[in-house]
Amino acid sequence: MQLKDQFRFVRQNMKKNKTRVFMTILATAMGCAFLIVLASVGFGLQKSVVKEITEQRVITQIDVHGKELNDQDGFRPLNETDIQLFEKVKDVKAVTRRKMLQQESTYIIGNYQESAQTYVTNFASEVKAGFELSEGRLPKGKDEIVVGYNFSLNLASKDAPGDIYDKKGQIKAEYRYSGKLIGQKLELTVRQNKDGKQVEKTIPLTVVGITKKPTREWAEDRTVFIADEMLTEIENFTGTPKGLLLDENSEVPAEFKAQDNSYDEVKIYAKNMEAVQSISDKLTEKKYGTYSVVNELKEVNMVFMIAKAGLIFIGTIAILIASIGIYNTMTMAVTERAPDIGIMKAIGANPKTIKRIFLLESSYIGLIGALIGTVVSYGISYTVNFAIPLIIKQAFGKETQIDLIFSDIPLILPLICIVICFGVTIISGFRPAQRATKVDVLKAMRREV
Amino acid sequence: MITIKKLSHDFVIGKKGRQTIIPVLRDINLTVGQGEIVTIVGRSGSGKSTLLNLVSGFIHPKEGEIWVKEEKVSDLNETKFADFRIKNLGFIFQSFQLIPSMTAFQNVELPLILKGINDRERKKKTEEMLKKVGLLEYQDHYPGELSGGQQQRVSIARALIVNPPIILADEPTGSLDSETEAELLKFIKELNRDLGITFLIITHDDKVAEIGHRTIELRDGLIVEEVASLCN
Repeated sequence: MQLKDQFRFVRQNMKKNKTRVFMTILATAMGCAFLIVLASVGFGLQKSVVKEITEQRVITQIDVHGKELNDQDGFRPLNETDIQLFEKVKDVKAVTRRKMLQQESTYIIGNYQESAQTYVTNFASEVKAGFELSEGRLPKGKDEIVVGYNFSLNLASKDAPGDIYDKKGQIKAEYRYSGKLIGQKLELTVRQNKDGKQVEKTIPLTVVGITKKPTREWAEDRTVFIADEMLTEIENFTGTPKGLLLDENSEVPAEFKAQDNSYDEVKIYAKNMEAVQSISDKLTEKKYGTYSVVNELKEVNMVFMIAKAGLIFIGTIAILIASIGIYNTMTMAVTERAPDIGIMKAIGANPKTIKRIFLLESSYIGLIGALIGTVVSYGISYTVNFAIPLIIKQAFGKETQIDLIFSDIPLILPLICIVICFGVTIISGFRPAQRATKVDVLKAMRREV
Repeated sequence: MITIKKLSHDFVIGKKGRQTIIPVLRDINLTVGQGEIVTIVGRSGSGKSTLLNLVSGFIHPKEGEIWVKEEKVSDLNETKFADFRIKNLGFIFQSFQLIPSMTAFQNVELPLILKGINDRERKKKTEEMLKKVGLLEYQDHYPGELSGGQQQRVSIARALIVNPPIILADEPTGSLDSETEAELLKFIKELNRDLGITFLIITHDDKVAEIGHRTIELRDGLIVEEVASLCN
């Protein structure tokens, strides 16, 4: 018997009791929709969390915060030897390293001043890692600096009154520096404690470059990059590594001495996302403390995977309940069609063919139910994503994050649902189909023997 | 064509522990040659329908052998018998046994569907067969919309559609009036003469018994008489 004829038989049989078949399909569709919508909450929240993590950090970035000490707990800071080792690791695109000035540094342009984080960096590796300028050029001389894109926004007038910030927390335009920065001379003030007094030194510098605007709307870059030679000059003035400001009676801590010429921030950039894990593994093997988005994602994905599996399991129960309906429908169909089955067997229908027709019918019901359920669940998902932020706003007066996804249905979810539904309907249709093959020809035809 | 050797069969009735065995057929030996019409007669309960059901494979014999077209069918399992049946056996039943939800065309087409014949060939063969039994214009009618004679003709068309060498008929005229009965018997004789189809017919009607080349009488599960017809 050809497959299309089997389908024709199935359709004909289903038409015989439309209401019962419709109700069974409806129950299956509801079960499927329940499974998909339930699991879609897991998928949606995972997507939101992953998006949040990946948006805050560069995905190919690996932070290395030190090397594990053999004889004691903790990590030692990283130095040039470590950097050279990192650069030799396969698939490493760049290794950026920064030293941070260990005191609050104040920058003054005319009547405007600002406190900012000051760094020394290796620009060649920064450029390799994707560092770009929005204006100007990279520094060449000892007194040349590059400032962050938002540096000027925080240069406030010295004469400004107490409240200089607007509602958004930014310095009001009238108190903010509005001149150009490139080529502008400014002064860096560094301090040291000497004989019970704080002594200041003013270092003249020239802005030669401004970094590129941060890609994230909320991010603010106020960093200042000075030359390595300038840091040495500051160290000579303070007499401490990286310009550490000490109290009058205190000494440079021992561990800080060991950090001499070490880096405060080391980041490795992999060539692609796939390489991040292997690089992390290699560094961990060599006892370096690393951290990357991949590590975080791995943990987050593991938690969500368990949650999603749980949700799918709960959803499957709904499909199992629907399968009772399918079992009932198929059993009734076999009972009602016993005379027809008997006639078919009498004229030579193979029991396997009869079994196949009934299995096809139950899986057909399951498949239609799953498809309807999928379409409905997409509708519910869309409605939920649209309505829940509005409901939260109305009920709690708070706005949710614009990108928060409550329900997400990736293609795999309907596929999982269809496979589960198909499997369950085959199982529930199996026994009635088996019964159909056992129909006694003579009894079915009500013949005397 | 059909050989039955030492065939015995009984039915077990009653619940376990209080069962009664009722012998139905005892030591039956019978041969039906190719192109022969053999009619089996006997009173109700003589075992004639059981004999037909055993040859049809609807029930399995307790003892003895049944050979059809040199195949020991009494040893075939249900699946193998189904394949054998659709190729070699056609059935005509007293109560027609048409599927009520299918039209005359669909009922006749059914064996071809089960055999896996394609649409085009099926349509052609079914129309030819309906024309042969004079029901082409009734092809879209459901069994409930046809007379008894017409239904039996649909049933015969369904039996003949796969060109079986053997037709097993159980009281084929039992539900027909005398005029339709005569037509049907004439048609059976034509099929036997023109196509060489072998018929094994169960009946208690003398008119039907008369068309057989041989008539076998069963009584209490035993063959008591075998008469060769002089008319055929």
